[in-house]
Amino acid sequence: MSEPNKSIGQAINRVDGLLKVTGAASYATDYVLKNTAHAVIFKSTIAAGKITDIETTEAEKAPGVLAVITHKNAPKLNEKGGIRGGALLQSPTIEWYGQHIGLVVAETFEQARYATRLIKVSYEKAEPKVDFTKHQKEAVLPKGNPDAVRGDVDTAFRNAEFKIEAIYETPIEHHHPMETHSTVAVWEGEKVTLYNGSQIVNGAQAAAASTLGIETEKVRIVTPFIGGGFGSKGGQWANLVLTAIAARAVNRPVKLALTRQQMFNSVGLRQKNHQKIRLAATKDGKLTALAHETSTHCAMSNEFVEPCGDCSKVMYEVPNSLISYRVVPMNIIIPTYTRGPGKSTGSFALESAIDELAYQLKMDPIQFRLKNEPAKDPSNGKPWSSRTTVQCLQEGAKAFGWEKRKIEPRQNQQGEYLIGYGVACGTYPARQQNSSAIVRLTRKGNDVKATIELAASDLGTGTNTIIAQTASDALGLAVNKITVKIGDSTLPPAAGSVGSVGAASFCNAVNDACEKITNELISKSSKQFFVRPTAAHLMVSENLTKFETRADAKAPADAGSYSSHSFNANFAEVWVNSQTGMVKVHRFLAVTGAGKILNPKTARSQIIGGNVWGIGMALTEESVLDPRWGNFVTRSLADYHVPSNLDIGTIDTIFIDEKDTIPNKLGVKGIGEVGIVGVAGAVANAIFNATGKRVRDLPITPDKLL
Amino acid sequence: MRPFKYSSTTNVKAATHLLMANPRAKFLAGGTNILDLMKEDVERPDELVDITRLALALVKPVTEGVNKGGISIGGLGKNTETANHPLIRQNFPLITQAILAGASAQIRNMATNGGNLNQRTRCPYFYEVSMPCNKREPGSGCGALQGINRMHAVFGWSESCVAVHPSDMCVALVALDAVVKVQGSNGQTRSIPFADYHRLPGDTPQKDNNLAHGEMVTSIEIPKNNFANKSYYLKVRDRASYAFALVSVAAAIEMSGNQIKQARVAMGGVAHKPWRAYEAEKFLAGKEATETNFRQAAEMEMKQAKPLEHNKYKIELGTRAIVLALTKAMNGGKAG
Ligand SMILES: Cc1cc2nc3c(=O)[nH]c(=O)nc-3n(C[C@H](O)[C@H](O)[C@H](O)COP(=O)(O)OP(=O)(O)OC[C@H]3O[C@@H](n4cnc5c(N)ncnc54)[C@H](O)[C@@H]3O)c2cc1C
Ligand code: SF4
Repeated sequence: MSEPNKSIGQAINRVDGLLKVTGAASYATDYVLKNTAHAVIFKSTIAAGKITDIETTEAEKAPGVLAVITHKNAPKLNEKGGIRGGALLQSPTIEWYGQHIGLVVAETFEQARYATRLIKVSYEKAEPKVDFTKHQKEAVLPKGNPDAVRGDVDTAFRNAEFKIEAIYETPIEHHHPMETHSTVAVWEGEKVTLYNGSQIVNGAQAAAASTLGIETEKVRIVTPFIGGGFGSKGGQWANLVLTAIAARAVNRPVKLALTRQQMFNSVGLRQKNHQKIRLAATKDGKLTALAHETSTHCAMSNEFVEPCGDCSKVMYEVPNSLISYRVVPMNIIIPTYTRGPGKSTGSFALESAIDELAYQLKMDPIQFRLKNEPAKDPSNGKPWSSRTTVQCLQEGAKAFGWEKRKIEPRQNQQGEYLIGYGVACGTYPARQQNSSAIVRLTRKGNDVKATIELAASDLGTGTNTIIAQTASDALGLAVNKITVKIGDSTLPPAAGSVGSVGAASFCNAVNDACEKITNELISKSSKQFFVRPTAAHLMVSENLTKFETRADAKAPADAGSYSSHSFNANFAEVWVNSQTGMVKVHRFLAVTGAGKILNPKTARSQIIGGNVWGIGMALTEESVLDPRWGNFVTRSLADYHVPSNLDIGTIDTIFIDEKDTIPNKLGVKGIGEVGIVGVAGAVANAIFNATGKRVRDLPITPDKLL
Repeated sequence: MRPFKYSSTTNVKAATHLLMANPRAKFLAGGTNILDLMKEDVERPDELVDITRLALALVKPVTEGVNKGGISIGGLGKNTETANHPLIRQNFPLITQAILAGASAQIRNMATNGGNLNQRTRCPYFYEVSMPCNKREPGSGCGALQGINRMHAVFGWSESCVAVHPSDMCVALVALDAVVKVQGSNGQTRSIPFADYHRLPGDTPQKDNNLAHGEMVTSIEIPKNNFANKSYYLKVRDRASYAFALVSVAAAIEMSGNQIKQARVAMGGVAHKPWRAYEAEKFLAGKEATETNFRQAAEMEMKQAKPLEHNKYKIELGTRAIVLALTKAMNGGKAG
């Protein structure tokens, strides 16, 4: 996959690795500014109703307290300014349990936290809507999400000989990045700088400015390192702006970091999905009908729908199909984008159903999938720019030893363990979004160096590294001659690290800028070149000490005429304790076709991260609400279980060698999201193969396997 | 966290005196439980008496008294050191296994034996101060009784509290008839049989155990036994590490020929205290060590269980866990 003398495709270490392991990398709260005060948020303890009184005198008198801000004294903010989920202290209305209702600013964090405990709030309670099972029947068609209908699903399903109809449920999940959402705000006159983990730097800037009611240029976002986000730092939340108003109120820099407990009701969640699948096939395994009907909840005043039917739209050739959504507003914090939005949860339903139908047909589930491989995108008739599902399945089957799998469950037992194999596929769209980049070249003697600047963000995935690699190849400079500056809204605007667009958007912009600077240097030169020289050579031959340019990159003009996606196939071997129901994922293999892999090492880490979360989705992760009051009873990482090392044996990754320059010049498709798609399905299918039990509601905890 | 006073001392008497002098003072050992609870505003002591400097960490043979020939572990010994001490590994591998099944390596390195006994329930309603909880605030009601109670008790609960004791170590200790040695502020010591140390909730769920204010756990004695090569600690949980038990079982068997001379079975995750399965033990005495007998014993024990809305699975799981733990004990289950 990698070419000699090229950095792209090499598994180099992270360029910022040393900074990270030595603690020198600065995350939002690491910015130590003189005279910083500390803010702590306090929250509602009811899920619906309004605040009738909020008594703050005692808190105001507590040691160290500088200010207490509530809806009574908060400055007016624009609630439609782009901050997700409200909670901006603009009114006494309560729409979910744990909504922000105020903050205390004090000299120290401890003083501020203590003072929050002295605040007395009186409420007028309303009947909260928090029990999804009870309110599901009230779900209605969401705006902008009409039913997608092809052919006649009902008739095809009714007439089919082989079919399954089942409901698959996924629970509320939380993102829980290691770095909780944190902000440091500093005003200088009318300008504010916000140190804040933001997946979309320019998005955070625009949202903060418009909510505060000031011009965009007056807000600067600084976010060079982010301790994970998984979608929860894509949109921006109230903490960003509340820190700014706190800093203004006390006229000092203010630091605010959410606690882990506060993360459950401050920065969105993945909502509970109830997915009904109807899937039918002919005797020889040709799909005839697929209906994927999702109902779910959203916030009281904000609609959001996770597109669970997306995989069902594109994965299989099926003449009759229906994809639909219904949504009910409830007193739960607004759901938001969460890794593999819609695809990870939706593929669990779809790929379980495929497995169920394959079993009914007595057909190998890989063969069944291959039989229904679509020649073009079934949802819009566009040709694929490339599609690797078949290769992923075939290479994966070989590498995994799929032939050892028994079609009947409970045929593979070792001691008290039942062993099973499962497979499931996934996909995620590939897109390039507008991004700009500046290249600055400098030279001392023969030593040429480059600085690359753009308002990209690095969630910890390796953005800094792949940008350096891209620039290295495009300029003819070693990686260590390149400085990457990202995570600052004063840099050229760029896309976000969201929806798997980051790598394609950033690296193509950087590549364009580097090509452009080379072209400009060539035209500056009076020489004739037979072999295209590098920018590095030209700096020397033209005797320049400084040169710079900027490129504004866009997706290729005809990218939209094709359907472009990353694809994968996931293989799981589980060991289920036949007595206790505890499951270990003994082996996992993800085979991914994601176009050009810029750095196999960081890419592998990305895929493994997605796999682990997918295994968590399958086995352990669930945020449980008390249906009476709307509070989460899983309220720390001791109760909200992500998988531990012991739950997972080995994880292997294979990347399909794929060249597809239709979606973008570099042929990068993106891997952040696809790594989690299909994972839960593979695990659930393996559990069926091991035990003969089909669990359709995640997570598959031991009690469900007794 | 509310402001509090910090005191420290190197002798037991002074420590217990400090506590007696202030009804709102508490001991600070490893701090892995009490500090969390203070940050959550659940525990509100106005003074912490740091006892980590007391010389109460030793694991040593008991040389006098009724438990002579047994082993004593210090009230301030760290969980990790206790688990890995050769005297414990050789004589009571059940304790080693139970300790190592709990928490995480980092927490066990900080946590002490006395703190482990006195750690508080993980009931989420107990932790969330805006929720009703009779244990935290007597008379406020029990949030879990009609709430989310998947993790809660099936034995010995009352309408006022359905919480479980979270410890793993204590399950092994109750199975082995350990004795808790405590010292009060008047200098007097007393011995509390482990099974009487923790309490059932009754209508005073605010009291987890029978330790009086000012009393300190100085050591725990484990009498000599013949279980070392037939014991096993089984912990069933939502993930393989770093999770509290759904159900756990400490099983130990002493054989005489092909008959069970005596069996010990205790359970975690099922009651307000580490639960000794006396019914199962009684049935097994004198029987052959067969799976059928194990199952019958397990079913007899679990017959007395009264599940709540979300924890009915604990009946079947508890039954299976007892059978599996006894089976593994018979196979000489070794410490991890
Ligand atoms: C995330 C997490 C997961 C955990 N998982 C498990 C698990 O799976 N299994 C398990 O068993 N445990 C688990 N634990 C609990 C852990 O074992 C306890 O927190 C620990 O044993 C407490 O010991 P400590 O010394 O830190 O006690 P501290 O926090 O210092 O004290 C706890 C209480 O005991 C009192 N106390 C301490 N020492 C004495 C003494 N000598 N005499 C009288 N009173 C005393 C204190 O006053 C305080 O009230 C977990 C803890 C955490 C934080
Ligand atoms: S079970 Fe006990 S600890 Fe939990 S809410 Fe009820 S009274 Fe409180």
